[in-house]
Amino acid sequence: MKGKEQKTYYPLTPAQYMHHKWILDYKTQQVSGVSVVASLKAPLDFGLLKKCLQLEFERYGCMRIRITKPDAKGDSKQYIVDRDSRDIPIKDLSGMSMEEADRLMQSWAYQTFDGDDIPLCDLTMMKLPDGFNGFFIHMDHRLIDSCGIVVMINDIMQLYTHYRFGSEYPADLADFEMVLEKDLKRATSEKRFAKDKKFWEDQLDALGEPLYSDIQGPSVLEEARKKHGDKKLRAADIEMKDLFVDVKDYILEPEPTKNLIDFCMNHQLSMTNLLLLGIRTYLSKANDGQEDITIENFISRRSTHDEWTSGGSRTIMFPCRTVISPDTDFLSAAYEIQNVQNRIYMHSNYDPALIKEEMRRRYHTPEHTAYESCYLTYQPMPVKMDNPHLADIPQHSKWFANGAATKKMYLTVSHTADGGMNFSYHYQTAHLEEHDMELLYYYMMRILFKGIAEPDMTIGEIMESV
Amino acid sequence: MTQEMQFKTIVAQYCEVTPEDMTNEMRFREDLGFSSLDFMSFLGELEDEFDVELEEEDALQVWTVGEALELLEKLQAEG
Repeated sequence: MKGKEQKTYYPLTPAQYMHHKWILDYKTQQVSGVSVVASLKAPLDFGLLKKCLQLEFERYGCMRIRITKPDAKGDSKQYIVDRDSRDIPIKDLSGMSMEEADRLMQSWAYQTFDGDDIPLCDLTMMKLPDGFNGFFIHMDHRLIDSCGIVVMINDIMQLYTHYRFGSEYPADLADFEMVLEKDLKRATSEKRFAKDKKFWEDQLDALGEPLYSDIQGPSVLEEARKKHGDKKLRAADIEMKDLFVDVKDYILEPEPTKNLIDFCMNHQLSMTNLLLLGIRTYLSKANDGQEDITIENFISRRSTHDEWTSGGSRTIMFPCRTVISPDTDFLSAAYEIQNVQNRIYMHSNYDPALIKEEMRRRYHTPEHTAYESCYLTYQPMPVKMDNPHLADIPQHSKWFANGAATKKMYLTVSHTADGGMNFSYHYQTAHLEEHDMELLYYYMMRILFKGIAEPDMTIGEIMESV
Repeated sequence: MTQEMQFKTIVAQYCEVTPEDMTNEMRFREDLGFSSLDFMSFLGELEDEFDVELEEEDALQVWTVGEALELLEKLQAEG
């Protein structure tokens, strides 16, 4: 559809719609914010950096997305403006300590983009403490996911080192609009849609209604049953008002991380599936050995070169449902999860909102209830400027939580620059405390390391022993 | 373009190997660096591009470029 100014309007993709719906349901754009600072311990030519940031608006089409006012059904369209030639401000926080600077940037991450047809992307050049200099990015997740941001940071710094040191000009990024059109074409293929729909509905036919499992144990589901006067209710309430989130990070050192990676390599397992097994086994333990556990797992749908470099919001979550008997050995359980996940990947064009809708239709669950308390994102890409000219320069990069969680507990696992892993637990403070995260991390690690040391042990034995 | 080259051009979108350098013995995961998600997305693209329907069980038995190509040809022959 062409507008007055010859703009092409597109529907939102399922990944964008997921964030859009959260904004509408929770009545704040804050739930869709994503912020990061990327900096180097080196003097920067800010005039040149500004030029590179402005150039990035031309190269990375997703930064120029605008979203229209929702219609009566809440649906919005998107379009891409041809130009965004804004000025890029600079903030000088060099007189602060890094903790103070981080605290201030954290407060910026809570800010919202309010309005329709407006830019949903802010860039600020930063003079930071201890000689660090760089830039702060604050965007709406409907425009970009974290992988897209990492690609963007690298592209900006490649532009900078090209102009500053004469390194090679970065390769062209894929055209966002072209990739979007391809995605939308696939999503509307009737044949594919029917196949994906059948897959998700067959899963419900085979396993029946899922059963809620909470980090804090079965009492949460019991409370929901009392509240709704339904002793057989299998879903529990989700928080809709107090969305404040706190973050607790735990670092796993390089050596144990290597042990996990080696186990995955030696057994042809992906890290995501090993992590899912760790979380689901903890949930089973915390819920009196419950076998039917569902975790929401985020998938970053980036496989081709074009998908990797086009930006956009390609991360989407699907329920990973596992029904694993305690007699199953650890390795077989990991393969069982891998099998489930592989099938999900094949049907990840589907809109997860339709899965929820089908479950509501079948099981008549009360409004604002869910079967999942835990959400996982595994990010294989470190937030590190991958640039030979910057290789020996210390970097300070940090993601800032948007401060409004739609999820009770959202775990992001990423790799650190020194070969370790960071387990970042974002938890709703209305229901959870830091101690809950400590327990979760402690038991997850005990379960995973017991399992990789003795993969023939059954899940039941592992739960008993940790 | 032959079907084999068309097929390899699609594979090449997912990895660092050009269609010309791609051999049928190359394994998707070990040699071409496909993740599980890459492989499953690739299978979906094959279905769309060549208008065939893959059975998940068959697809999960495919390890090399040659095996995938053979499976594609078999499905096309079955019509």
